[in-house]
Amino acid sequence: MELLSYDFVQRGILTGLMVGVASAIAGVFLILRRMAFLGAGLSHAAFGGIAISMLLGVDPFILTALFTLLVGNIVQLITSNRRVPGDAAIALVFSGGVALAVLVLGVAKGFSEYLFGYLFGNILMVTRSELILVSISFFLVLLFFAIFYRKLVLLTFSEEIAKLRDVKIGLMNHMLVSVASLVIVLSIKAVGIILASSMIVVPALTALLIASSFRSAVVIAAVVSAFSVILGIALAFYYDLPPSGAIVGGMIAVFGAAFLKRVLSS
Amino acid sequence: MYVIEIEDLYFSYDGKVNVLEGVNLKIDKGEFVGIVGPNGAGKTTLFKIILGFLKPTAGRVRLFGKDIRYFKEWHRIGYVPQRLSVEQNFPATVEELLRSVTTEERIREIASYLHIDLFMNRQFLKLSGGQQQLVLLGMALASDPELLLLDEPTAGLDLHSQMHITEILKDLSANEGKTVVMISHDIGMVMKNVDRVVCLNRYVCYFGDPEGAVEPIEDIFGIGRSLKDGAP
Repeated sequence: MELLSYDFVQRGILTGLMVGVASAIAGVFLILRRMAFLGAGLSHAAFGGIAISMLLGVDPFILTALFTLLVGNIVQLITSNRRVPGDAAIALVFSGGVALAVLVLGVAKGFSEYLFGYLFGNILMVTRSELILVSISFFLVLLFFAIFYRKLVLLTFSEEIAKLRDVKIGLMNHMLVSVASLVIVLSIKAVGIILASSMIVVPALTALLIASSFRSAVVIAAVVSAFSVILGIALAFYYDLPPSGAIVGGMIAVFGAAFLKRVLSS
Repeated sequence: MYVIEIEDLYFSYDGKVNVLEGVNLKIDKGEFVGIVGPNGAGKTTLFKIILGFLKPTAGRVRLFGKDIRYFKEWHRIGYVPQRLSVEQNFPATVEELLRSVTTEERIREIASYLHIDLFMNRQFLKLSGGQQQLVLLGMALASDPELLLLDEPTAGLDLHSQMHITEILKDLSANEGKTVVMISHDIGMVMKNVDRVVCLNRYVCYFGDPEGAVEPIEDIFGIGRSLKDGAP
Protein backbone atom coordinates (compact mmCIF):
# COMPACT_ATOMS: atom_id res chain seq x y z
CA MET A 1 0.00 0.00 0.00
CA GLU A 2 2.97 2.27 -0.70
CA LEU A 3 0.69 3.84 -3.27
CA LEU A 4 -1.57 5.43 -0.67
CA SER A 5 1.25 6.97 1.34
CA TYR A 6 1.57 9.80 -1.19
CA ASP A 7 -0.66 12.86 -0.89
CA PHE A 8 -0.91 13.36 -4.65
CA VAL A 9 -2.00 9.75 -5.14
CA GLN A 10 -4.66 10.06 -2.43
CA ARG A 11 -5.98 13.21 -4.09
CA GLY A 12 -5.86 11.51 -7.48
CA ILE A 13 -7.79 8.46 -6.31
CA LEU A 14 -10.41 10.57 -4.49
CA THR A 15 -10.87 12.79 -7.53
CA GLY A 16 -10.98 9.81 -9.85
CA LEU A 17 -13.56 8.00 -7.75
CA MET A 18 -15.86 11.03 -7.56
CA VAL A 19 -15.47 11.89 -11.24
CA GLY A 20 -15.82 8.24 -12.25
CA VAL A 21 -18.98 7.61 -10.23
CA ALA A 22 -20.65 10.87 -11.33
CA SER A 23 -19.78 10.28 -15.00
CA ALA A 24 -20.95 6.67 -14.92
CA ILE A 25 -24.34 7.51 -13.42
CA ALA A 26 -24.85 10.37 -15.88
CA GLY A 27 -23.74 8.03 -18.66
CA VAL A 28 -26.53 5.52 -18.00
CA PHE A 29 -29.19 8.20 -18.50
CA LEU A 30 -27.40 9.85 -21.43
CA ILE A 31 -27.02 6.58 -23.34
CA LEU A 32 -30.65 5.65 -22.73
CA ARG A 33 -31.69 9.15 -23.89
CA ARG A 34 -29.55 8.60 -27.03
CA MET A 35 -27.26 11.42 -25.97
CA ALA A 36 -24.03 9.40 -25.65
CA PHE A 37 -22.22 11.49 -28.26
CA LEU A 38 -22.99 14.63 -26.24
CA GLY A 39 -19.99 13.83 -24.00
CA ALA A 40 -17.54 13.97 -26.90
CA GLY A 41 -19.13 17.17 -28.22
CA LEU A 42 -19.08 18.94 -24.87
CA SER A 43 -15.54 17.90 -23.97
CA HIS A 44 -14.27 19.40 -27.22
CA ALA A 45 -16.42 22.49 -26.70
CA ALA A 46 -14.81 22.74 -23.26
CA PHE A 47 -11.44 22.97 -25.02
CA GLY A 48 -12.57 26.41 -26.23
CA GLY A 49 -13.58 27.35 -22.68
CA ILE A 50 -10.20 26.32 -21.32
CA ALA A 51 -8.46 28.40 -23.99
CA ILE A 52 -10.55 31.48 -23.12
CA SER A 53 -9.83 31.12 -19.40
CA MET A 54 -6.10 30.87 -20.17
CA LEU A 55 -6.32 34.00 -22.29
CA LEU A 56 -8.21 35.89 -19.55
CA GLY A 57 -5.98 34.53 -16.81
CA VAL A 58 -8.89 33.19 -14.70
CA ASP A 59 -9.47 29.83 -13.01
CA PRO A 60 -10.02 27.31 -15.84
CA PHE A 61 -12.37 25.05 -13.85
CA ILE A 62 -15.10 27.60 -13.14
CA LEU A 63 -15.00 29.42 -16.46
CA THR A 64 -14.83 26.17 -18.44
CA ALA A 65 -17.72 24.76 -16.42
CA LEU A 66 -19.81 27.86 -17.17
CA PHE A 67 -18.78 27.84 -20.83
CA THR A 68 -19.60 24.14 -21.26
CA LEU A 69 -22.89 24.60 -19.40
CA LEU A 70 -23.81 27.39 -21.80
CA VAL A 71 -22.83 25.41 -24.89
CA GLY A 72 -24.65 22.28 -23.67
CA ASN A 73 -27.85 24.22 -23.08
CA ILE A 74 -27.59 25.94 -26.47
CA VAL A 75 -27.33 22.48 -28.07
CA GLN A 76 -30.40 21.37 -26.13
CA LEU A 77 -32.28 24.51 -27.13
CA ILE A 78 -31.59 24.25 -30.86
CA THR A 79 -32.35 20.53 -30.97
CA SER A 80 -35.50 20.61 -28.81
CA ASN A 81 -37.65 22.09 -31.59
CA ARG A 82 -36.23 19.45 -33.97
CA ARG A 83 -35.07 22.07 -36.49
CA VAL A 84 -31.49 20.86 -36.10
CA PRO A 85 -30.79 17.12 -35.60
CA GLY A 86 -29.13 16.35 -32.24
CA ASP A 87 -26.03 14.67 -33.71
CA ALA A 88 -25.47 17.57 -36.13
CA ALA A 89 -25.73 20.12 -33.29
CA ILE A 90 -23.18 18.14 -31.26
CA ALA A 91 -20.83 17.98 -34.26
CA LEU A 92 -21.21 21.75 -34.52
CA VAL A 93 -20.08 22.44 -30.95
CA PHE A 94 -17.42 19.74 -31.22
CA SER A 95 -15.70 21.52 -34.11
CA GLY A 96 -16.60 24.99 -32.79
CA GLY A 97 -14.84 24.35 -29.47
CA VAL A 98 -11.68 23.06 -31.12
CA ALA A 99 -11.72 25.96 -33.62
CA LEU A 100 -11.98 28.44 -30.74
CA ALA A 101 -9.05 26.83 -28.94
CA VAL A 102 -6.92 26.83 -32.10
CA LEU A 103 -7.74 30.52 -32.65
CA VAL A 104 -6.77 31.41 -29.08
CA LEU A 105 -3.56 29.42 -29.44
CA GLY A 106 -2.77 31.37 -32.57
CA VAL A 107 -3.55 34.79 -31.06
CA ALA A 108 -2.00 34.35 -27.62
CA LYS A 109 1.38 32.74 -27.84
CA GLY A 110 2.86 30.83 -24.95
CA PHE A 111 -0.17 28.87 -23.74
CA SER A 112 0.27 25.96 -26.12
CA GLU A 113 2.08 23.66 -23.72
CA TYR A 114 -0.32 24.39 -20.86
CA LEU A 115 -3.37 23.99 -23.10
CA PHE A 116 -2.13 20.74 -24.59
CA GLY A 117 -1.80 19.45 -21.01
CA TYR A 118 -5.60 19.46 -20.92
CA LEU A 119 -5.81 17.16 -23.90
CA PHE A 120 -4.78 14.12 -21.88
CA GLY A 121 -5.21 15.42 -18.31
CA ASN A 122 -3.29 14.16 -15.30
CA ILE A 123 -5.23 12.97 -12.34
CA LEU A 124 -2.11 12.72 -10.22
CA MET A 125 -1.59 16.47 -10.43
CA VAL A 126 -4.90 17.49 -8.84
CA THR A 127 -4.44 20.27 -6.28
CA ARG A 128 -6.21 20.55 -2.92
CA SER A 129 -8.44 23.39 -4.14
CA GLU A 130 -9.36 21.41 -7.27
CA LEU A 131 -10.28 18.47 -5.07
CA ILE A 132 -12.66 20.71 -3.11
CA LEU A 133 -14.30 21.93 -6.34
CA VAL A 134 -14.61 18.36 -7.60
CA SER A 135 -16.19 17.29 -4.26
CA ILE A 136 -18.78 20.08 -4.38
CA SER A 137 -19.63 19.26 -8.00
CA PHE A 138 -19.82 15.54 -7.19
CA PHE A 139 -22.36 16.09 -4.42
CA LEU A 140 -24.41 18.41 -6.66
CA VAL A 141 -24.51 15.73 -9.36
CA LEU A 142 -25.49 13.01 -6.85
CA LEU A 143 -28.17 15.27 -5.39
CA PHE A 144 -29.65 15.83 -8.84
CA PHE A 145 -29.89 12.11 -9.56
CA ALA A 146 -31.24 11.34 -6.08
CA ILE A 147 -34.02 13.94 -6.40
CA PHE A 148 -35.02 13.25 -10.00
CA TYR A 149 -34.18 9.53 -10.30
CA ARG A 150 -37.76 8.30 -10.85
CA LYS A 151 -38.64 11.11 -13.24
CA LEU A 152 -35.48 10.40 -15.24
CA VAL A 153 -36.29 6.68 -15.42
CA LEU A 154 -39.74 7.55 -16.78
CA LEU A 155 -38.27 10.08 -19.21
CA THR A 156 -35.89 7.47 -20.65
CA PHE A 157 -38.86 5.13 -21.10
CA SER A 158 -41.45 7.41 -22.73
CA GLU A 159 -41.50 11.19 -23.09
CA GLU A 160 -45.24 11.08 -23.76
CA ILE A 161 -46.09 9.18 -20.59
CA ALA A 162 -43.66 11.35 -18.63
CA LYS A 163 -45.30 14.51 -19.93
CA LEU A 164 -48.70 13.25 -18.89
CA ARG A 165 -47.35 12.42 -15.43
CA ASP A 166 -46.32 16.06 -15.02
CA VAL A 167 -42.62 15.69 -15.79
CA LYS A 168 -41.40 18.97 -17.31
CA ILE A 169 -39.59 17.45 -20.28
CA GLY A 170 -37.80 20.60 -21.46
CA LEU A 171 -36.61 21.56 -17.98
CA MET A 172 -35.51 17.99 -17.24
CA ASN A 173 -33.55 17.78 -20.51
CA HIS A 174 -31.82 21.09 -19.74
CA MET A 175 -30.96 19.91 -16.23
CA LEU A 176 -29.59 16.61 -17.56
CA VAL A 177 -27.47 18.45 -20.13
CA SER A 178 -26.23 20.84 -17.41
CA VAL A 179 -25.23 17.90 -15.22
CA ALA A 180 -23.54 16.26 -18.22
CA SER A 181 -21.62 19.50 -18.87
CA LEU A 182 -20.42 19.61 -15.28
CA VAL A 183 -19.44 15.95 -15.35
CA ILE A 184 -17.50 16.49 -18.59
CA VAL A 185 -15.50 19.33 -17.05
CA LEU A 186 -14.72 17.07 -14.07
CA SER A 187 -13.70 14.24 -16.42
CA ILE A 188 -11.32 16.56 -18.30
CA LYS A 189 -9.45 17.03 -15.04
CA ALA A 190 -9.18 13.27 -14.67
CA VAL A 191 -8.46 11.97 -18.17
CA GLY A 192 -8.27 15.00 -20.47
CA ILE A 193 -10.42 16.31 -23.29
CA ILE A 194 -9.85 13.45 -25.71
CA LEU A 195 -10.79 10.69 -23.27
CA ALA A 196 -13.39 12.57 -21.16
CA SER A 197 -16.37 11.11 -23.02
CA SER A 198 -15.08 7.58 -22.30
CA MET A 199 -15.74 8.18 -18.59
CA ILE A 200 -19.40 8.78 -19.47
CA VAL A 201 -19.90 6.14 -22.13
CA VAL A 202 -17.79 3.06 -21.34
CA PRO A 203 -18.83 2.14 -17.75
CA ALA A 204 -22.49 2.87 -18.54
CA LEU A 205 -22.35 0.78 -21.70
CA THR A 206 -20.75 -2.07 -19.74
CA ALA A 207 -23.45 -1.88 -17.08
CA LEU A 208 -26.27 -1.87 -19.64
CA LEU A 209 -24.89 -5.09 -21.11
CA ILE A 210 -25.21 -7.04 -17.88
CA ALA A 211 -27.66 -5.20 -15.61
CA SER A 212 -30.92 -6.87 -14.61
CA SER A 213 -32.63 -3.64 -13.53
CA PHE A 214 -32.26 0.12 -13.84
CA ARG A 215 -30.93 0.43 -10.30
CA SER A 216 -28.37 -2.32 -10.88
CA ALA A 217 -27.26 -0.60 -14.13
CA VAL A 218 -26.50 2.57 -12.17
CA VAL A 219 -24.66 0.65 -9.43
CA ILE A 220 -22.66 -1.53 -11.87
CA ALA A 221 -21.65 1.53 -13.94
CA ALA A 222 -20.40 3.29 -10.78
CA VAL A 223 -18.52 0.18 -9.60
CA VAL A 224 -16.91 -0.43 -13.03
CA SER A 225 -15.81 3.19 -13.12
CA ALA A 226 -14.43 3.18 -9.56
CA PHE A 227 -12.60 -0.10 -10.16
CA SER A 228 -11.05 1.21 -13.39
CA VAL A 229 -9.93 4.43 -11.72
CA ILE A 230 -8.12 2.57 -8.91
CA LEU A 231 -6.65 0.02 -11.34
CA GLY A 232 -5.55 2.76 -13.75
CA ILE A 233 -3.91 4.89 -11.08
CA ALA A 234 -2.14 1.85 -9.60
CA LEU A 235 -0.86 0.80 -13.03
CA ALA A 236 0.21 4.37 -13.78
CA PHE A 237 2.04 4.61 -10.45
CA TYR A 238 3.88 1.28 -10.58
CA TYR A 239 4.59 1.10 -14.32
CA ASP A 240 5.03 4.80 -15.05
CA LEU A 241 2.12 4.91 -17.46
CA PRO A 242 -0.08 7.91 -18.34
CA PRO A 243 -2.98 7.65 -15.81
CA SER A 244 -5.68 8.73 -18.31
CA GLY A 245 -4.79 5.98 -20.77
CA ALA A 246 -4.53 3.40 -17.98
CA ILE A 247 -7.95 4.35 -16.52
CA VAL A 248 -9.80 4.30 -19.83
CA GLY A 249 -7.88 1.17 -20.89
CA GLY A 250 -9.14 -0.52 -17.69
CA MET A 251 -12.71 0.53 -18.49
CA ILE A 252 -12.49 -0.87 -22.00
CA ALA A 253 -11.02 -4.15 -20.68
CA VAL A 254 -13.98 -4.52 -18.30
CA PHE A 255 -16.36 -3.70 -21.16
CA GLY A 256 -14.67 -6.42 -23.26
CA ALA A 257 -15.14 -8.97 -20.47
CA ALA A 258 -18.81 -8.00 -20.02
CA PHE A 259 -19.41 -8.17 -23.77
CA LEU A 260 -17.82 -11.62 -23.92
CA LYS A 261 -19.97 -12.78 -21.00
CA ARG A 262 -23.08 -11.49 -22.74
CA VAL A 263 -22.16 -13.17 -26.04
CA LEU A 264 -21.34 -16.49 -24.36
CA SER A 265 -24.48 -16.48 -22.22
CA SER A 266 -26.74 -15.79 -25.21
CA MET B 1 -70.77 17.40 -18.80
CA TYR B 2 -68.93 15.23 -21.31
CA VAL B 3 -65.58 13.61 -20.59
CA ILE B 4 -64.38 14.56 -24.08
CA GLU B 5 -66.05 17.26 -26.14
CA ILE B 6 -64.60 18.22 -29.50
CA GLU B 7 -66.08 20.95 -31.69
CA ASP B 8 -65.16 21.68 -35.29
CA LEU B 9 -61.55 20.59 -34.84
CA TYR B 10 -58.98 21.19 -37.55
CA PHE B 11 -55.34 20.20 -37.53
CA SER B 12 -52.52 20.44 -40.03
CA TYR B 13 -48.84 19.58 -39.51
CA ASP B 14 -47.59 21.74 -42.37
CA GLY B 15 -50.29 24.40 -42.62
CA LYS B 16 -51.31 23.08 -46.05
CA VAL B 17 -52.89 19.64 -45.76
CA ASN B 18 -55.52 19.06 -43.08
CA VAL B 19 -54.98 15.84 -41.13
CA LEU B 20 -58.22 16.51 -39.27
CA GLU B 21 -61.04 18.68 -40.55
CA GLY B 22 -64.27 19.60 -38.83
CA VAL B 23 -64.10 16.83 -36.22
CA ASN B 24 -67.01 16.83 -33.76
CA LEU B 25 -67.20 14.30 -30.94
CA LYS B 26 -68.88 14.00 -27.55
CA ILE B 27 -67.94 11.09 -25.30
CA ASP B 28 -69.80 10.40 -22.07
CA LYS B 29 -68.57 9.08 -18.75
CA GLY B 30 -68.18 5.29 -18.61
CA GLU B 31 -68.41 4.76 -22.37
CA PHE B 32 -66.20 2.27 -24.18
CA VAL B 33 -65.45 3.85 -27.55
CA GLY B 34 -63.49 2.37 -30.44
CA ILE B 35 -61.93 4.63 -33.08
CA VAL B 36 -61.37 3.00 -36.46
CA GLY B 37 -60.09 4.37 -39.72
CA PRO B 38 -57.46 3.74 -42.40
CA ASN B 39 -53.78 4.63 -41.95
CA GLY B 40 -53.30 8.39 -42.07
CA ALA B 41 -56.92 9.04 -41.04
CA GLY B 42 -55.75 11.21 -38.12
CA LYS B 43 -56.52 8.79 -35.26
CA THR B 44 -53.21 9.14 -33.41
CA THR B 45 -53.13 12.87 -34.20
CA LEU B 46 -56.57 13.20 -32.57
CA PHE B 47 -55.23 11.46 -29.44
CA LYS B 48 -52.19 13.74 -29.37
CA ILE B 49 -54.45 16.78 -29.49
CA ILE B 50 -56.66 15.41 -26.69
CA LEU B 51 -53.50 14.79 -24.64
CA GLY B 52 -52.22 18.31 -25.24
CA PHE B 53 -49.12 17.13 -27.18
CA LEU B 54 -50.32 18.98 -30.29
CA LYS B 55 -52.23 22.25 -30.53
CA PRO B 56 -55.29 22.32 -32.81
CA THR B 57 -55.14 24.56 -35.88
CA ALA B 58 -58.76 25.50 -35.19
CA GLY B 59 -61.67 24.30 -33.10
CA ARG B 60 -62.21 23.51 -29.47
CA VAL B 61 -61.41 20.56 -27.20
CA ARG B 62 -62.85 20.24 -23.70
CA LEU B 63 -61.85 17.61 -21.16
CA PHE B 64 -64.19 17.12 -18.20
CA GLY B 65 -65.86 20.40 -19.22
CA LYS B 66 -62.65 22.41 -19.20
CA ASP B 67 -61.01 23.92 -22.27
CA ILE B 68 -57.83 21.97 -23.03
CA ARG B 69 -55.81 25.20 -23.10
CA TYR B 70 -56.43 25.56 -19.37
CA PHE B 71 -56.66 21.87 -18.45
CA LYS B 72 -54.09 20.83 -15.86
CA GLU B 73 -55.57 17.71 -14.27
CA TRP B 74 -53.65 15.21 -16.39
CA HIS B 75 -53.75 12.65 -13.56
CA ARG B 76 -57.40 12.13 -14.60
CA ILE B 77 -56.16 10.69 -17.90
CA GLY B 78 -54.25 7.46 -18.53
CA TYR B 79 -52.54 6.85 -21.86
CA VAL B 80 -51.13 3.78 -23.58
CA PRO B 81 -49.03 4.90 -26.57
CA GLN B 82 -48.97 3.11 -29.90
CA ARG B 83 -45.30 2.24 -29.85
CA LEU B 84 -42.31 2.92 -27.66
CA SER B 85 -38.88 3.85 -28.91
CA VAL B 86 -36.79 2.72 -25.95
CA GLU B 87 -33.16 1.71 -26.34
CA GLN B 88 -32.71 -2.03 -26.91
CA ASN B 89 -30.77 -2.40 -23.64
CA PHE B 90 -33.25 -0.41 -21.55
CA PRO B 91 -32.85 -2.18 -18.20
CA ALA B 92 -35.84 -1.17 -16.05
CA THR B 93 -37.98 -3.84 -14.44
CA VAL B 94 -41.77 -3.72 -14.35
CA GLU B 95 -41.66 -2.69 -10.70
CA GLU B 96 -39.21 0.15 -11.42
CA LEU B 97 -41.43 1.45 -14.22
CA LEU B 98 -44.53 1.39 -12.05
CA ARG B 99 -42.57 2.99 -9.21
CA SER B 100 -41.67 5.85 -11.55
CA VAL B 101 -45.35 6.77 -11.82
CA THR B 102 -47.03 5.80 -8.56
CA THR B 103 -46.85 4.69 -4.92
CA GLU B 104 -46.13 1.23 -3.51
CA GLU B 105 -49.72 0.83 -2.37
CA ARG B 106 -51.13 1.66 -5.80
CA ILE B 107 -48.57 -0.66 -7.44
CA ARG B 108 -49.91 -3.55 -5.34
CA GLU B 109 -53.50 -2.71 -6.36
CA ILE B 110 -52.59 -2.52 -10.05
CA ALA B 111 -50.48 -5.69 -9.96
CA SER B 112 -53.29 -7.61 -8.33
CA TYR B 113 -55.96 -6.25 -10.72
CA LEU B 114 -53.93 -6.95 -13.87
CA HIS B 115 -52.34 -10.16 -12.52
CA ILE B 116 -48.85 -8.93 -13.26
CA ASP B 117 -47.46 -9.85 -9.82
CA LEU B 118 -45.51 -12.76 -11.29
CA PHE B 119 -43.30 -10.64 -13.52
CA MET B 120 -42.83 -7.52 -11.41
CA ASN B 121 -39.09 -8.16 -11.13
CA ARG B 122 -38.54 -8.99 -14.78
CA GLN B 123 -37.14 -6.47 -17.25
CA PHE B 124 -39.83 -4.78 -19.35
CA LEU B 125 -38.08 -5.48 -22.65
CA LYS B 126 -37.81 -9.20 -21.87
CA LEU B 127 -41.58 -9.60 -21.55
CA SER B 128 -43.90 -10.84 -24.29
CA GLY B 129 -45.93 -8.31 -26.28
CA GLY B 130 -49.07 -9.08 -24.26
CA GLN B 131 -47.26 -8.72 -20.95
CA GLN B 132 -45.73 -5.42 -22.09
CA GLN B 133 -49.20 -4.12 -22.97
CA LEU B 134 -50.43 -5.08 -19.49
CA VAL B 135 -47.55 -3.14 -17.94
CA LEU B 136 -48.31 -0.10 -20.11
CA LEU B 137 -51.94 -0.39 -19.08
CA GLY B 138 -50.77 -0.61 -15.46
CA MET B 139 -48.74 2.58 -15.90
CA ALA B 140 -51.79 4.25 -17.45
CA LEU B 141 -53.88 3.20 -14.46
CA ALA B 142 -51.29 4.52 -11.98
CA SER B 143 -53.17 7.68 -11.11
CA ASP B 144 -56.56 5.88 -11.08
CA PRO B 145 -57.66 7.95 -14.11
CA GLU B 146 -61.27 8.54 -15.14
CA LEU B 147 -60.39 8.54 -18.84
CA LEU B 148 -58.18 5.96 -20.59
CA LEU B 149 -56.83 6.55 -24.08
CA LEU B 150 -55.25 3.54 -25.76
CA ASP B 151 -53.56 3.66 -29.15
CA GLU B 152 -53.79 0.19 -30.71
CA PRO B 153 -53.44 -1.72 -27.43
CA THR B 154 -53.95 -5.14 -29.07
CA ALA B 155 -51.84 -4.65 -32.22
CA GLY B 156 -49.40 -7.49 -32.83
CA LEU B 157 -50.69 -9.61 -29.94
CA ASP B 158 -51.78 -13.24 -30.11
CA LEU B 159 -55.49 -13.99 -29.84
CA HIS B 160 -55.35 -14.90 -26.14
CA SER B 161 -53.58 -11.64 -25.22
CA GLN B 162 -55.99 -9.64 -27.38
CA MET B 163 -58.97 -11.17 -25.61
CA HIS B 164 -57.37 -10.68 -22.19
CA ILE B 165 -56.67 -6.97 -22.79
CA THR B 166 -60.13 -6.44 -24.27
CA GLU B 167 -61.82 -8.08 -21.27
CA ILE B 168 -59.88 -5.81 -18.92
CA LEU B 169 -60.89 -2.73 -20.90
CA LYS B 170 -64.53 -3.81 -20.86
CA ASP B 171 -64.35 -4.33 -17.11
CA LEU B 172 -62.73 -0.92 -16.56
CA SER B 173 -65.54 0.68 -18.49
CA ALA B 174 -68.51 -1.37 -17.26
CA ASN B 175 -67.57 -1.99 -13.63
CA GLU B 176 -65.04 0.68 -12.72
CA GLY B 177 -66.92 3.50 -14.48
CA LYS B 178 -63.92 4.60 -16.52
CA THR B 179 -64.28 6.12 -19.95
CA VAL B 180 -62.21 4.04 -22.35
CA VAL B 181 -61.31 5.32 -25.83
CA MET B 182 -59.31 2.94 -27.98
CA ILE B 183 -57.83 3.23 -31.47
CA SER B 184 -57.79 -0.11 -33.23
CA HIS B 185 -57.34 -1.66 -36.66
CA ASP B 186 -59.06 -4.82 -35.43
CA ILE B 187 -62.54 -3.95 -36.66
CA GLY B 188 -64.02 -7.30 -35.61
CA MET B 189 -62.88 -6.83 -32.04
CA VAL B 190 -64.10 -3.22 -31.95
CA MET B 191 -67.55 -4.10 -33.33
CA LYS B 192 -67.96 -6.91 -30.83
CA ASN B 193 -66.87 -5.15 -27.67
CA VAL B 194 -67.33 -1.38 -27.64
CA ASP B 195 -70.43 0.69 -26.83
CA ARG B 196 -69.86 3.15 -29.66
CA VAL B 197 -67.73 3.31 -32.78
CA VAL B 198 -66.07 6.37 -34.28
CA CYS B 199 -65.22 6.03 -37.96
CA LEU B 200 -62.56 8.60 -38.66
CA ASN B 201 -61.11 9.55 -41.99
CA ARG B 202 -59.89 13.10 -41.35
CA TYR B 203 -63.47 13.89 -40.31
CA VAL B 204 -65.94 11.78 -38.33
CA CYS B 205 -67.84 9.68 -40.88
CA TYR B 206 -69.86 7.88 -38.23
CA PHE B 207 -70.30 7.97 -34.48
CA GLY B 208 -72.78 5.59 -32.94
CA ASP B 209 -73.68 1.98 -32.15
CA PRO B 210 -71.53 -0.78 -33.62
CA GLU B 211 -74.59 -2.13 -35.49
CA GLY B 212 -74.81 1.00 -37.59
CA ALA B 213 -71.09 1.18 -38.26
CA VAL B 214 -70.83 -1.52 -40.92
CA GLU B 215 -71.56 0.64 -43.94
CA PRO B 216 -69.45 3.64 -42.90
CA ILE B 217 -66.54 1.28 -42.21
CA GLU B 218 -66.97 -0.33 -45.63
CA ASP B 219 -66.99 3.13 -47.17
CA ILE B 220 -63.86 4.47 -45.51
CA PHE B 221 -61.87 1.30 -46.08
CA GLY B 222 -63.23 0.94 -49.61
CA ILE B 223 -64.07 -2.72 -49.08
CA GLY B 224 -67.51 -2.85 -50.70
CA ARG B 225 -69.76 -5.48 -49.19
CA SER B 226 -67.00 -7.59 -47.62
CA LEU B 227 -67.92 -6.91 -43.99
CA LYS B 228 -71.54 -7.93 -44.51
CA ASP B 229 -70.46 -10.95 -46.49
CA GLY B 230 -68.13 -12.02 -43.70
CA ALA B 231 -64.93 -11.59 -45.70
CA PRO B 232 -61.88 -10.31 -43.76
